[in-house]
Amino acid sequence: MMIEEDSLSRLVTRDRDHECEGYGSSKVCVRVEGIAELPTRVGHFRIVAFWNNRDGKEHVAMIKGDVVGATDIPTRLHSECLTGDVMGSLRCDCRDQLLEGLKVIQSMDRGILLYMRQEGRGIGLINKIRAYSLQDLGLDTVEANLALGFRDDERDYAVAAHMLKSLDVGSIQLITNNPNKMKQLTQYGINVAGRIPHVIPPNEHNRFYLETKAKRSGHFLDPAGRPHLAEQSDEVVVEGMRAPSEPPDQG
Amino acid sequence: MAEPVGEDRVVVVGAGISGLSAARALTAAGRSVVVLERAKGVGGRCATRRIEGGQPVDFGVTFLHGTDPDFLAALADVPGGALVDWPSQIRGSGRPCQPEAFSRPQRRVAFADGVAAFPRHLARGLDVRTERRVTGLEITGATITPAIDGAAPIVARTVILALAAEQSRALLAGVGARTPGLDTAAALLAMMPTRPCLTVIAAYPAGVPGPPFHLRYPEDSSILQVIAHDSSKRVNPAATVMVYQAHARWSREHLERPSAGASAAASAPWARALLDEAARLLGPWAGAPSSLQAHRWTHARADGGAGLNAPILLHFPGDPGPRLGLAGELFSPGGGVESAWMSGVRLARMILAEDKR
Repeated sequence: MMIEEDSLSRLVTRDRDHECEGYGSSKVCVRVEGIAELPTRVGHFRIVAFWNNRDGKEHVAMIKGDVVGATDIPTRLHSECLTGDVMGSLRCDCRDQLLEGLKVIQSMDRGILLYMRQEGRGIGLINKIRAYSLQDLGLDTVEANLALGFRDDERDYAVAAHMLKSLDVGSIQLITNNPNKMKQLTQYGINVAGRIPHVIPPNEHNRFYLETKAKRSGHFLDPAGRPHLAEQSDEVVVEGMRAPSEPPDQG
Repeated sequence: MAEPVGEDRVVVVGAGISGLSAARALTAAGRSVVVLERAKGVGGRCATRRIEGGQPVDFGVTFLHGTDPDFLAALADVPGGALVDWPSQIRGSGRPCQPEAFSRPQRRVAFADGVAAFPRHLARGLDVRTERRVTGLEITGATITPAIDGAAPIVARTVILALAAEQSRALLAGVGARTPGLDTAAALLAMMPTRPCLTVIAAYPAGVPGPPFHLRYPEDSSILQVIAHDSSKRVNPAATVMVYQAHARWSREHLERPSAGASAAASAPWARALLDEAARLLGPWAGAPSSLQAHRWTHARADGGAGLNAPILLHFPGDPGPRLGLAGELFSPGGGVESAWMSGVRLARMILAEDKR
């Protein structure tokens, strides 16, 4: 058996005693705890598991190619969504966004997908299901979303930035439709060299986005006509759709 | 006659920790605030009463804990003897009300004067009117007016409900002006019922030694959730005093019995059942107190760990229109007193930020 210690697997040894001031107002610090090969339906990755000092959330990074010290690494941030990612829910597009993210990275020489274990951007699974249930009752979810907490991504970015620092990235190309994410990561000292739009190919489940009613009052609607909860801090863009920065159709 | 409306007046309903922290933050920002409280004193579940000889007894919240620097600073501000690290002697492997209270970054604090020292300190300098029960909310034009049992209503533009979910929901149900936000808030509150807790305070004759622990969470009782050695918080206590608090499920079953509310709490069958269970767990001495008091907490605590992430501020039509805020432990992650305090502060900040615009 040949044990090859490459630049990535050395990070576990390096981080053994890592403890820093922490990032952001929540002073979050992460450590690389484990790295393994992970063949997937999409292709071959390595998976990196992180510990953090704030909660029991075990964030992971999916890695393609050599990223340590590399520049312009295509990088995608994805927020855990149990209902979408795992169950294939059509109330959101999380699974399409996740798979497309992995595919894009797999098609490149190198890339990173940070899978943030913050269900629905930190709202938690219980509150997300509650929000769904409010929608089922036909209620307006704007107030509920505020109370349920779909707002504060600060800690997410702090964690993501520390994870990228731990992977020793030189610079990244962020795969996103939300330019604000670039600014947030830059604030934490990540060199964001550019942006790659995240465009999902059309399929039978997201075709409705292409129709004129796809966007109403700034919300995306699911097949049942319910507005999407903002489960990813990233607007959905399906190939052939208007760019999200254009004003919604007034007609 | 209604009191005249102050254009920036805020009425806070409920002088528990969330109501007081909101009122304090708003008052500090120069706003005129009136706090209405149904009970004779402030603090809600941060409740202390005095037994014979004036010895304080905490019969609601047993101790305070938290991690937020601002909350810990607010606790440090309380005059009198703070007992840092009470409880330090903990027995039993039963489930605490908030298991995270014992994780590493958490600070735990009790007060020799009783836990009510904290709300009393928060209320200092505020316009708190006790024994004022709010029976309804009326929205007319730009104002929202809480109706008060036996007193003149107070007109305001902004009202904060800092109550248990059921109490807030009852007041929301009576608001004539329906908005989607109001219906949503009511539906959310309906999803989060609070749990009851039947409580007994037992004082023991001189010579009865206190048990060798501060708190015990019995792992082998379906009746008692918490046994607090209350007199271990006191300086030179005259008597050994224990506080027994029942599990939510057991409490609910006994509260629903027709006889539950008929007699004085101390002579209720459930009070005897709690003492019998204490005697089984601690020894016969625990079943024979020299004096006994009991309290029915119908809204003792929020469902653990499943609250919302932020307070709610509802807006009604108008420019500027009336506003209705909701605060309490439900409206901040984690629950408990720290969450209640944080939710009040956050709601006050939301209101102030809106008014600055």
